[in-house]
Amino acid sequence: MADIKTFHLPDLGEGLPDATIVEWLVKEGSTVGLDDPLVSMETAKAVVEVPSPYSGKLVKMHGGNGDVIITGAALAEFEIDPKLPQRAEAQSTGHHHAPPATAGAGSKTGHNGDTVVASDEGGEISSGGAKPAAGDAGTVVGAMQSSDAVHAEQAVSVGGVKAVPAVRALAKKLGVDLTRVAPSGAGGVVTMNDVKLAAASGSARAGAAAVRAVATPGPAAATVAAPAAATRTTLSAAGKPMRTSPPTAHAGVLGQPEQLKGMRRTMARVMAEAHAQIVATSIVDDADLHAWEPGNDITVRLLRALVAACKTVPALNAWFDGANLTRTLHPHVDIGLAVDTDDGLFVPALRNADRLDAAGLRAAVNRARAEVMDRSIAASELSGYTIMLSNFGMFAGRYATPVVVPPCVAILGAGKLHHVTVPVLGGFEAHRVMPLSLTFDHRAATGGEAARFLRAVIDDLALPR
Amino acid sequence: MAQITLIEAVTQALAWEMAHDPSVVVLGEDVGVNGGVFRATQGLQQKFGPERVIDTPLDETTIAGLTVGMATQGMKPVAEAQFEGFIYPMMEHIACHAARMRNRTRGRLHVPAVWRAPWGGGIRAPEHHSEANEHLFTNIPGLRVVMPSSPARAYGLLLAAIRDPDPVMFFEPKRIYRQYKEEVPDDGEALPLDVCFVLRDGQDVTLVTWGAQVKESLEAADALAQEGISAEVIDLATVKPLDFDTIAESVAKTHRCVIVHEAPRTAGFGAEVAARLAEHSMYDLHAPVERVTGYDTHIPLFRLEMKYLPSVQRIVEAARRTLAV
Amino acid sequence: MSTCASFEIEHLQFLDAEGKLCASVNAPPLAKDHKQLLDLYRQMLFVRVFDAKAVALQRTGKLGTYASSLGHEAVHVGIGSAMRPEDCFAPSYREYGAQFCRGVQPREVLMYWGGDERGNDYSGPRHDFAWCVPIATQCLHAAGAALSYKLRKQPRVAVCCVGDGGSSKADFYGAINVTGAMTLPLVAVIINNQWAISVPRKAQTGAKTLAQKGIAAGLETVQVDGNDLLAVRSAMDTAIARARGGGGGTVIEAVTYRLADHTTADDARRYRDDAEVKAAWAREPMKRLRAYLTAAKVWDDAREEAWKTECAARVDVEVNAYLESKPQPVTAMFDYTYAELPVDLAQQRAQVLAAEHDGH
Repeated sequence: MADIKTFHLPDLGEGLPDATIVEWLVKEGSTVGLDDPLVSMETAKAVVEVPSPYSGKLVKMHGGNGDVIITGAALAEFEIDPKLPQRAEAQSTGHHHAPPATAGAGSKTGHNGDTVVASDEGGEISSGGAKPAAGDAGTVVGAMQSSDAVHAEQAVSVGGVKAVPAVRALAKKLGVDLTRVAPSGAGGVVTMNDVKLAAASGSARAGAAAVRAVATPGPAAATVAAPAAATRTTLSAAGKPMRTSPPTAHAGVLGQPEQLKGMRRTMARVMAEAHAQIVATSIVDDADLHAWEPGNDITVRLLRALVAACKTVPALNAWFDGANLTRTLHPHVDIGLAVDTDDGLFVPALRNADRLDAAGLRAAVNRARAEVMDRSIAASELSGYTIMLSNFGMFAGRYATPVVVPPCVAILGAGKLHHVTVPVLGGFEAHRVMPLSLTFDHRAATGGEAARFLRAVIDDLALPR
Repeated sequence: MAQITLIEAVTQALAWEMAHDPSVVVLGEDVGVNGGVFRATQGLQQKFGPERVIDTPLDETTIAGLTVGMATQGMKPVAEAQFEGFIYPMMEHIACHAARMRNRTRGRLHVPAVWRAPWGGGIRAPEHHSEANEHLFTNIPGLRVVMPSSPARAYGLLLAAIRDPDPVMFFEPKRIYRQYKEEVPDDGEALPLDVCFVLRDGQDVTLVTWGAQVKESLEAADALAQEGISAEVIDLATVKPLDFDTIAESVAKTHRCVIVHEAPRTAGFGAEVAARLAEHSMYDLHAPVERVTGYDTHIPLFRLEMKYLPSVQRIVEAARRTLAV
Repeated sequence: MSTCASFEIEHLQFLDAEGKLCASVNAPPLAKDHKQLLDLYRQMLFVRVFDAKAVALQRTGKLGTYASSLGHEAVHVGIGSAMRPEDCFAPSYREYGAQFCRGVQPREVLMYWGGDERGNDYSGPRHDFAWCVPIATQCLHAAGAALSYKLRKQPRVAVCCVGDGGSSKADFYGAINVTGAMTLPLVAVIINNQWAISVPRKAQTGAKTLAQKGIAAGLETVQVDGNDLLAVRSAMDTAIARARGGGGGTVIEAVTYRLADHTTADDARRYRDDAEVKAAWAREPMKRLRAYLTAAKVWDDAREEAWKTECAARVDVEVNAYLESKPQPVTAMFDYTYAELPVDLAQQRAQVLAAEHDGH
């Protein structure tokens, strides 16, 4: 049986895409020896004489004089003569000649237009190619894969927001929350310009809660979905179960010591230190909310009352340094608001509470809670507050001795609202009251200061609005 | 609009910036008349003249020293090392001077220069033409190290690099110089430095990579998708300073990380990423961090080089290992 | 066979070691400009007074390692005074005399050797290069500056100094080579003070002169007696005019002697003998210029003492300014690494700042 070998046009000059047959130097059907001159080829750089890679009969020529043969395409076929010397086969070096099947999510890579930059033996083209890039190879050494295929990175949807990688990177750089940017691109895609405008206007700062209008203008409205928090699932996309906890810690192992991590660990440490340093003294009382008009936001009123008290008795809006025996009275009021979560206690700071109006306070509280809940809150926003507030009354409890965390010197605790009967002239009334507990560091403030502070809180809370 | 390859994007960026900023000059060996051995500076000398695109004598030390000197006097030189394997003689001027000039003079002098070099292996080149040595620069304070992985990023990041007031090493993965074309508008828009590019979203594992291995990582993500594993692919783009936040956010979601780089394993930049994951993301990780890297050997001559470079298969296997824990 | 190239190196000297004008040459105009010569002499004496004080500071633990310029006063002042403010100077680490001419403050020298980067933030010549430890790398920086002036068509000149040791280094060769290849306005001064720490001049190269390295680069070259201010100025004036006029670069070899140790951390007695040093003192630059000016009746001992006293007072002002300066805040370590601090560096800076406040 005849042993037919195909000779593919090798790369004649470091990455040349093709060559033109000038003249066959051997007739079809004749016998040619290894390395005998076979054909004269013209490239972009020179006219090159190509020797025969085999000894045998030239049984087929894949082009005539003047034809262009693409590098790597079949040039000639030989019937090997086993009695004559042949060159050893070289092994494939594994160089990757074809472009990838796909090149990223949603890419539009075509397979046409491959140019195989061949090995010395002449590699095979993977698919019939369109015309490759003409001209010089543009490399002085080696051979590189070269393709005319056009590829475009697509916008990818993350949490309901579609943007190409470059736009997402820019948003990250400028501190813009993509979920809060109104997209102007087709199909609800956020564009570079959208991000830049948002950055300039400061309207979509990263880290803020995604308080989004449901109705957004423009055709993109339907595709603008609420940001989905990354939901934790124990199954991979293929439905295969994945381990969701580290091998050493098993959630819910009872009867075994469980290493504290994260916020619980921090809480244990912080509370122990606080207890060791602070001289905690508590004073409790009730605020009478009987005069409240409808529509009062309880948390906002509490915050405002706290601010009012800080202005009346600045000694409790301060930091105390027990080692150096200094105290720092603050001109502003940043309230550390205790927020309870499954993972433990967080205390985000509401900055400049003394300057915010009711709407601002409510927005700040919402933002802080949301950032805590989705764990997007920055570490810097969990410290630096000047006084603390714990509204534990949402669940149960009237009075408490909440813990002051240094360097703060005071924490106000608000217990569960309830009604009490109050004697008034001529009878009794049922008044709604808010129990208040003030713990303060007696190294830094006197009982009198604490009492006057609590009085100020109560007085402000008693106001109708 | 032009559909161009990565190398053409480099040329396009250089041309745009030179047309708009007369203080930008290009210098190096063979960059002028020849347009650069990879044609990175093709046509630029014809357009801007030999005083803007300068063919220097054959000495990397000279090129690097001239670059420092020019930059301190208010120019923005873009120097070319013909191959990153020849960048070593430049390192004295880069490490001792470019990276330090601002600090040394308290800001009186600074070096707004870019050093470009074709980087990495995989093109069947002779010895010393396949080096991946970005990690030698990432530990030098005062430098930036940037590596594009697509034509658009090459254009935008090179513009950013030229405009940055501090020295930037701009390593161009030569294996993907012409791997595909992309529409890259010639609008002078720079891309941001110091941030990662999330090229593909996923839920199950994060692939962190840069340079030419972005190609294999995306292919690996496709292969993993066939198995129902959804991989997120992050391209550092700016290797240093590292935007770790993006990686941390991703790992907080996927809990698994595979780092892919061509440079040798030990003390390669993947080690820095892994160290930061250990410092900041320990409780998010559900499996050890995997690194798929070049071996701690010199890259072999080209008959074996494809066995050295991180392959799609190795990346896929590493990802699977993180999910098997 | 035909000769395709040959060269000659001229040696320039006007004032001999005793301060007499050489009969065989025409004295330059500066020789008669007593006013300017007195000013230059005073500057040279100021540098010497400052230098001695700096060494004393080091020896009393008030300054780190210091490189003395003793014996180099004529070279340094000759170089600095020939330059214009818009020219730029790339020193190695010893040329204070040149730098004082250009506006660098003595306290800045002390800050640098005292371990404070603010010394490099010259109040005077803002575009001059900082002190440069990696040997001869400053030559390429100066070539780069010269290239920038040429490209921008500015009539400015770059001047660099390098030692006899530095002239062996690749950066020096690269710099003069590119200066010749591109016709750059660079004046490279090889200050041949005979010693590269402990390695004598003859071990550096087989070339008969260091100036002739410039021939290989295609540059004009000259060797001058570096202890003769008139010769140094003459060569510098010619070279700078040539460069400024577009005529390209020059290599000047200024032959002098390092009368002190390489730095205060060196002890030259280990490798050179006293007789050689004594002989060098006989040729030193101050002595001959003082003799010339005294013979011209424009200087005398009384004026010398008065000026020395005034120099000491000025130096004391500078020394006190240095000694009383407060260290930079710890954040200064970070603040000049980049134009703007990247995120991770900002985090490190914050940690360091917090540790400072906690008293660590």
